[in-house]
Amino acid sequence: MTLFAAIRPDEWNLPLFLHVLAAMVLVGTLVLVAVSLAGASQGGSVGAVRLGFRGLLLAALPSWIVMRVTAEWLASEENLDEDPPGWVDAGYMISETTLLLLIAATVCAGVAARRAGRVEAGGGGTGRAGAGGGGLGRAVVVLVGIALVAYVVAIWLMATKPS
Amino acid sequence: MYDWLLFLHLLAAFLIAVTAVTYSAVALGAATGRPAIRVADACWNVGGIGTLVLGIWLAIYVEGYEVWDGWILGAIVLWLVATGTGERARTELAAGRGAAAVHWVRTLAVLGLLVLMVWKPGA
Repeated sequence: MTLFAAIRPDEWNLPLFLHVLAAMVLVGTLVLVAVSLAGASQGGSVGAVRLGFRGLLLAALPSWIVMRVTAEWLASEENLDEDPPGWVDAGYMISETTLLLLIAATVCAGVAARRAGRVEAGGGGTGRAGAGGGGLGRAVVVLVGIALVAYVVAIWLMATKPS
Repeated sequence: MYDWLLFLHLLAAFLIAVTAVTYSAVALGAATGRPAIRVADACWNVGGIGTLVLGIWLAIYVEGYEVWDGWILGAIVLWLVATGTGERARTELAAGRGAAAVHWVRTLAVLGLLVLMVWKPGA
Protein backbone atom coordinates (compact mmCIF):
# COMPACT_ATOMS: atom_id res chain seq x y z
CA MET A 1 0.00 0.00 0.00
CA THR A 2 2.78 2.43 0.89
CA LEU A 3 4.70 1.53 -2.28
CA PHE A 4 1.55 2.09 -4.37
CA ALA A 5 1.16 5.49 -2.74
CA ALA A 6 4.60 6.49 -4.03
CA ILE A 7 3.79 5.74 -7.69
CA ARG A 8 1.93 8.27 -9.88
CA PRO A 9 1.76 8.65 -13.68
CA ASP A 10 3.79 11.62 -15.01
CA GLU A 11 0.71 13.12 -16.70
CA TRP A 12 -0.81 13.87 -13.30
CA ASN A 13 2.14 15.93 -12.08
CA LEU A 14 1.45 19.32 -13.72
CA PRO A 15 -2.23 19.54 -12.73
CA LEU A 16 -1.35 18.24 -9.25
CA PHE A 17 1.41 20.85 -8.87
CA LEU A 18 -0.90 23.69 -9.96
CA HIS A 19 -3.73 22.34 -7.78
CA VAL A 20 -1.60 22.20 -4.63
CA LEU A 21 0.09 25.55 -5.40
CA ALA A 22 -3.28 27.29 -5.88
CA ALA A 23 -4.65 25.68 -2.71
CA MET A 24 -1.59 26.86 -0.77
CA VAL A 25 -1.91 30.44 -2.05
CA LEU A 26 -5.64 30.34 -1.25
CA VAL A 27 -5.14 29.13 2.33
CA GLY A 28 -2.15 31.44 2.88
CA THR A 29 -4.15 34.43 1.67
CA LEU A 30 -7.16 33.56 3.82
CA VAL A 31 -5.03 33.33 6.96
CA LEU A 32 -3.44 36.71 6.11
CA VAL A 33 -6.88 38.25 5.49
CA ALA A 34 -8.32 36.85 8.73
CA VAL A 35 -5.38 38.01 10.85
CA SER A 36 -5.29 41.45 9.20
CA LEU A 37 -9.00 42.07 9.63
CA ALA A 38 -9.05 40.67 13.17
CA GLY A 39 -6.24 43.11 13.99
CA ALA A 40 -7.99 45.94 12.14
CA SER A 41 -11.22 45.52 14.11
CA GLN A 42 -9.19 46.03 17.30
CA GLY A 43 -6.72 48.65 16.16
CA GLY A 44 -8.68 50.56 13.52
CA SER A 45 -6.18 50.26 10.66
CA VAL A 46 -7.60 51.29 7.27
CA GLY A 47 -4.62 49.70 5.48
CA ALA A 48 -5.40 46.31 7.01
CA VAL A 49 -9.04 46.50 5.87
CA ARG A 50 -7.90 47.35 2.33
CA LEU A 51 -5.38 44.49 2.46
CA GLY A 52 -8.19 42.13 3.44
CA PHE A 53 -10.34 43.21 0.49
CA ARG A 54 -7.50 43.15 -2.05
CA GLY A 55 -6.26 39.82 -0.75
CA LEU A 56 -9.68 38.24 -1.23
CA LEU A 57 -10.30 39.84 -4.64
CA LEU A 58 -6.85 39.58 -6.22
CA ALA A 59 -5.43 36.44 -4.60
CA ALA A 60 -8.06 34.24 -2.93
CA LEU A 61 -10.71 34.20 -5.67
CA PRO A 62 -8.23 33.69 -8.58
CA SER A 63 -6.52 30.93 -6.54
CA TRP A 64 -9.87 29.27 -5.95
CA ILE A 65 -10.52 29.27 -9.72
CA VAL A 66 -7.09 27.72 -10.49
CA MET A 67 -7.55 25.19 -7.66
CA ARG A 68 -10.99 24.17 -8.98
CA VAL A 69 -10.02 24.03 -12.69
CA THR A 70 -6.97 21.89 -11.91
CA ALA A 71 -9.14 19.66 -9.70
CA GLU A 72 -11.34 18.96 -12.74
CA TRP A 73 -8.20 18.40 -14.85
CA LEU A 74 -6.84 15.91 -12.29
CA ALA A 75 -10.17 14.10 -12.02
CA SER A 76 -10.23 13.79 -15.80
CA GLU A 77 -6.62 12.45 -15.91
CA GLU A 78 -7.41 9.94 -13.16
CA ASN A 79 -10.73 8.95 -14.82
CA LEU A 80 -12.58 9.97 -11.68
CA ASP A 81 -14.98 12.33 -13.46
CA GLU A 82 -17.43 9.63 -14.63
CA ASP A 83 -18.17 8.06 -11.26
CA PRO A 84 -16.31 10.11 -8.66
CA PRO A 85 -15.55 8.47 -5.29
CA GLY A 86 -16.87 9.97 -2.08
CA TRP A 87 -13.72 11.94 -1.24
CA VAL A 88 -13.80 13.67 -4.66
CA ASP A 89 -17.50 14.53 -4.26
CA ALA A 90 -16.81 15.87 -0.77
CA GLY A 91 -13.94 17.97 -2.16
CA TYR A 92 -16.23 19.47 -4.80
CA MET A 93 -18.89 20.18 -2.19
CA ILE A 94 -16.37 21.94 0.07
CA SER A 95 -14.95 24.00 -2.81
CA GLU A 96 -18.40 25.10 -4.02
CA THR A 97 -19.64 25.99 -0.53
CA THR A 98 -16.49 27.92 0.28
CA LEU A 99 -16.75 29.84 -3.01
CA LEU A 100 -20.03 31.28 -1.74
CA LEU A 101 -18.33 32.15 1.56
CA LEU A 102 -15.44 33.80 -0.30
CA ILE A 103 -17.77 35.85 -2.49
CA ALA A 104 -19.75 36.99 0.56
CA ALA A 105 -16.51 37.80 2.41
CA THR A 106 -15.16 39.76 -0.57
CA VAL A 107 -18.35 41.85 -0.82
CA CYS A 108 -18.30 42.53 2.95
CA ALA A 109 -14.59 43.41 2.85
CA GLY A 110 -15.16 45.71 -0.13
CA VAL A 111 -17.94 47.60 1.67
CA ALA A 112 -15.83 47.72 4.86
CA ALA A 113 -12.83 49.07 2.92
CA ARG A 114 -15.03 51.72 1.27
CA ARG A 115 -16.47 52.81 4.63
CA ALA A 116 -13.02 52.79 6.22
CA GLY A 117 -11.76 54.99 3.37
CA ARG A 118 -14.57 57.46 3.99
CA VAL A 119 -13.81 57.49 7.72
CA GLU A 120 -10.14 58.15 6.94
CA ALA A 121 -11.00 60.92 4.47
CA GLY A 122 -13.33 62.48 7.05
CA GLY A 123 -10.57 62.56 9.68
CA GLY A 124 -11.79 59.46 11.56
CA GLY A 125 -14.89 61.23 12.79
CA THR A 126 -17.01 58.08 13.09
CA GLY A 127 -14.50 56.39 15.34
CA ARG A 128 -12.12 53.45 15.31
CA ALA A 129 -14.71 50.76 14.61
CA GLY A 130 -15.44 52.35 11.23
CA ALA A 131 -11.79 52.72 10.29
CA GLY A 132 -11.11 49.11 11.22
CA GLY A 133 -14.00 47.63 9.28
CA GLY A 134 -16.41 47.34 12.24
CA GLY A 135 -19.05 44.62 12.10
CA LEU A 136 -18.40 43.89 8.43
CA GLY A 137 -14.74 43.29 9.20
CA ARG A 138 -15.71 40.83 11.91
CA ALA A 139 -18.15 39.14 9.50
CA VAL A 140 -15.29 38.65 7.03
CA VAL A 141 -13.14 37.09 9.76
CA VAL A 142 -15.96 34.63 10.61
CA LEU A 143 -16.64 33.73 6.94
CA VAL A 144 -12.94 33.26 6.20
CA GLY A 145 -12.50 31.27 9.42
CA ILE A 146 -15.29 28.85 8.39
CA ALA A 147 -13.69 28.49 4.94
CA LEU A 148 -10.32 27.73 6.53
CA VAL A 149 -11.79 24.98 8.72
CA ALA A 150 -13.44 23.50 5.61
CA TYR A 151 -10.10 23.60 3.77
CA VAL A 152 -8.37 21.69 6.57
CA VAL A 153 -11.05 19.01 6.15
CA ALA A 154 -10.44 19.11 2.36
CA ILE A 155 -6.68 18.69 2.87
CA TRP A 156 -7.41 15.67 5.08
CA LEU A 157 -9.73 14.24 2.39
CA MET A 158 -7.17 14.76 -0.38
CA ALA A 159 -4.35 13.24 1.71
CA THR A 160 -6.19 10.21 3.08
CA LYS A 161 -8.72 9.62 0.23
CA PRO A 162 -11.20 7.73 2.48
CA SER A 163 -13.38 5.40 0.39
CA MET B 1 -0.34 5.62 9.60
CA TYR B 2 0.78 6.67 6.10
CA ASP B 3 -2.41 8.71 5.61
CA TRP B 4 -1.92 10.66 8.84
CA LEU B 5 1.78 11.27 8.16
CA LEU B 6 0.94 12.60 4.69
CA PHE B 7 -1.93 14.75 6.02
CA LEU B 8 0.22 16.34 8.73
CA HIS B 9 3.12 16.78 6.26
CA LEU B 10 0.75 18.57 3.86
CA LEU B 11 -0.73 20.67 6.67
CA ALA B 12 2.79 21.76 7.66
CA ALA B 13 3.45 22.71 4.02
CA PHE B 14 0.30 24.85 4.05
CA LEU B 15 1.63 26.66 7.15
CA ILE B 16 4.78 27.47 5.17
CA ALA B 17 2.50 28.86 2.44
CA VAL B 18 0.97 31.25 5.00
CA THR B 19 4.46 32.66 5.64
CA ALA B 20 5.29 32.89 1.94
CA VAL B 21 2.03 34.70 1.14
CA THR B 22 2.33 37.13 4.08
CA TYR B 23 5.95 38.05 3.32
CA SER B 24 5.06 38.36 -0.39
CA ALA B 25 2.37 40.87 0.57
CA VAL B 26 4.99 42.81 2.59
CA ALA B 27 7.45 42.66 -0.32
CA LEU B 28 4.75 44.00 -2.65
CA GLY B 29 4.19 46.96 -0.30
CA ALA B 30 1.06 45.89 1.61
CA ALA B 31 0.50 47.19 5.13
CA THR B 32 0.19 43.82 6.86
CA GLY B 33 0.86 45.02 10.40
CA ARG B 34 2.77 43.28 13.20
CA PRO B 35 0.11 40.61 14.09
CA ALA B 36 0.20 39.17 10.56
CA ILE B 37 4.02 39.03 10.60
CA ARG B 38 3.97 37.34 14.03
CA VAL B 39 1.49 34.73 12.76
CA ALA B 40 3.56 34.22 9.59
CA ASP B 41 6.74 33.69 11.62
CA ALA B 42 4.97 31.23 13.95
CA CYS B 43 3.63 29.35 10.91
CA TRP B 44 7.16 29.12 9.53
CA ASN B 45 8.48 27.73 12.82
CA VAL B 46 5.80 25.02 13.06
CA GLY B 47 5.54 24.35 9.31
CA GLY B 48 9.30 24.24 8.81
CA ILE B 49 9.91 21.67 11.54
CA GLY B 50 6.74 19.78 10.57
CA THR B 51 7.64 19.41 6.89
CA LEU B 52 11.20 18.29 7.68
CA VAL B 53 10.45 15.81 10.46
CA LEU B 54 7.32 14.34 8.86
CA GLY B 55 8.97 14.33 5.42
CA ILE B 56 11.94 12.29 6.70
CA TRP B 57 9.53 10.04 8.63
CA LEU B 58 7.58 9.45 5.38
CA ALA B 59 10.80 8.74 3.46
CA ILE B 60 11.69 6.06 6.02
CA TYR B 61 8.14 4.66 6.21
CA VAL B 62 7.26 4.42 2.51
CA GLU B 63 8.69 1.41 0.66
CA GLY B 64 10.48 2.60 -2.45
CA TYR B 65 11.78 5.84 -0.89
CA GLU B 66 15.12 6.26 0.89
CA VAL B 67 16.29 9.35 2.78
CA TRP B 68 19.39 9.43 0.54
CA ASP B 69 17.34 9.53 -2.71
CA GLY B 70 18.45 12.48 -4.85
CA TRP B 71 15.10 14.26 -4.79
CA ILE B 72 14.85 13.94 -0.98
CA LEU B 73 18.42 15.22 -0.47
CA GLY B 74 17.60 18.05 -2.90
CA ALA B 75 14.50 18.85 -0.86
CA ILE B 76 16.55 18.96 2.35
CA VAL B 77 19.03 21.36 0.71
CA LEU B 78 16.16 23.59 -0.50
CA TRP B 79 14.62 23.43 2.99
CA LEU B 80 17.94 24.66 4.45
CA VAL B 81 18.09 27.48 1.86
CA ALA B 82 14.48 28.46 2.64
CA THR B 83 15.14 28.39 6.39
CA GLY B 84 18.35 30.42 6.11
CA THR B 85 16.88 33.08 3.84
CA GLY B 86 13.68 33.10 5.88
CA GLU B 87 15.62 33.83 9.05
CA ARG B 88 17.42 36.67 7.27
CA ALA B 89 14.13 38.05 5.94
CA ARG B 90 12.74 37.97 9.47
CA THR B 91 15.69 39.84 11.04
CA GLU B 92 15.88 42.40 8.23
CA LEU B 93 12.16 43.11 8.51
CA ALA B 94 12.43 43.41 12.32
CA ALA B 95 15.31 45.87 11.84
CA GLY B 96 13.12 47.98 9.55
CA ARG B 97 15.13 47.18 6.44
CA GLY B 98 13.71 45.91 3.16
CA ALA B 99 13.54 42.12 3.09
CA ALA B 100 12.11 41.72 -0.41
CA ALA B 101 15.11 40.25 -2.23
CA VAL B 102 15.89 37.65 0.41
CA HIS B 103 12.18 36.81 0.71
CA TRP B 104 11.86 36.07 -3.02
CA VAL B 105 14.84 33.71 -2.75
CA ARG B 106 13.00 31.89 0.04
CA THR B 107 9.79 31.79 -2.02
CA LEU B 108 11.69 30.28 -4.96
CA ALA B 109 13.15 27.65 -2.63
CA VAL B 110 9.65 26.81 -1.35
CA LEU B 111 8.39 26.58 -4.94
CA GLY B 112 11.32 24.29 -5.74
CA LEU B 113 10.38 22.11 -2.77
CA LEU B 114 6.85 21.76 -4.12
CA VAL B 115 8.20 20.84 -7.59
CA LEU B 116 10.39 18.13 -6.03
CA MET B 117 7.54 16.79 -3.89
CA VAL B 118 5.23 16.46 -6.92
CA TRP B 119 7.63 15.27 -9.65
CA LYS B 120 9.97 13.26 -7.37
CA PRO B 121 12.70 13.06 -10.05
CA GLY B 122 14.51 9.72 -9.92
CA ALA B 123 11.96 8.07 -7.63
